[in-house]
Amino acid sequence: MWLVRRQLDTRFERLDPDDDPDRDDRLIRELYQEFGGPLLRQVRQSTGNDLQWAEDVVQETLLRAWRNAAKLTWERGLLWAWLLTVSRRIVIDGRRRRGVRPREVEPPEADTVAVPDATDKTLAAIVVADALRGLSPDHREVIEQTYLRDRTVSEAAEILGIPPGTVKSRLYYALRALRGVLKERGVAS
Amino acid sequence: MLSDEIPESSHHDVAAYALGVLDPEDIQGFELHLVSCERCRIELNEFGELPGLLNEVKSASQRVRP
Repeated sequence: MWLVRRQLDTRFERLDPDDDPDRDDRLIRELYQEFGGPLLRQVRQSTGNDLQWAEDVVQETLLRAWRNAAKLTWERGLLWAWLLTVSRRIVIDGRRRRGVRPREVEPPEADTVAVPDATDKTLAAIVVADALRGLSPDHREVIEQTYLRDRTVSEAAEILGIPPGTVKSRLYYALRALRGVLKERGVAS
Repeated sequence: MLSDEIPESSHHDVAAYALGVLDPEDIQGFELHLVSCERCRIELNEFGELPGLLNEVKSASQRVRP
């Protein structure tokens, strides 16, 4: 496993598309090995524990990573951020297509899901809610009208009656401010 | 394109991208920008944990919603 991890770091930093015909097979297998599990855990949070849906999202995400392999010559941390971003987008698109909010939570299988720590979860929720309240009204509003309500920039722009470019810029400064506060409080790194 | 020709606002898409709320028609353009913009790559990384943290609030508010 450690060897795979090391090879992966090298692989993602220096991809040469032409020198290895078996590269594709290996790459997608290694993507699964390295990121499949952690990504599934993240995605399940946003599919309301719908495992089947979450697995489809993970598959689609890793497939997109594989298709973009030549472009993704990034270090591991950034690749992880990219995978999270893409998977969220796929969940949101899927939710739109289904026209529903996340389904009711199904009972998770005992051996695949870690028992959530209710205390930690509540505490984080309190800290984040408090940090949001501390932002300027403009900043809080764009976070609420986009991410927290599953709306895209242009949808939020229409509701708020401001140009999409303004939503994007406000969102940018809002996230910087939010991250600063959460860092100060030891919740974000 | 030289990076100093890029207007400041084009770096702002990184926030919407990190949250997965950038409109589909803007995504490819931003990803192209990302390849050549180190600043946005760093910021995407920095914003990486915010969606997870915001989910705490999101699921909390969904719980109390009727």
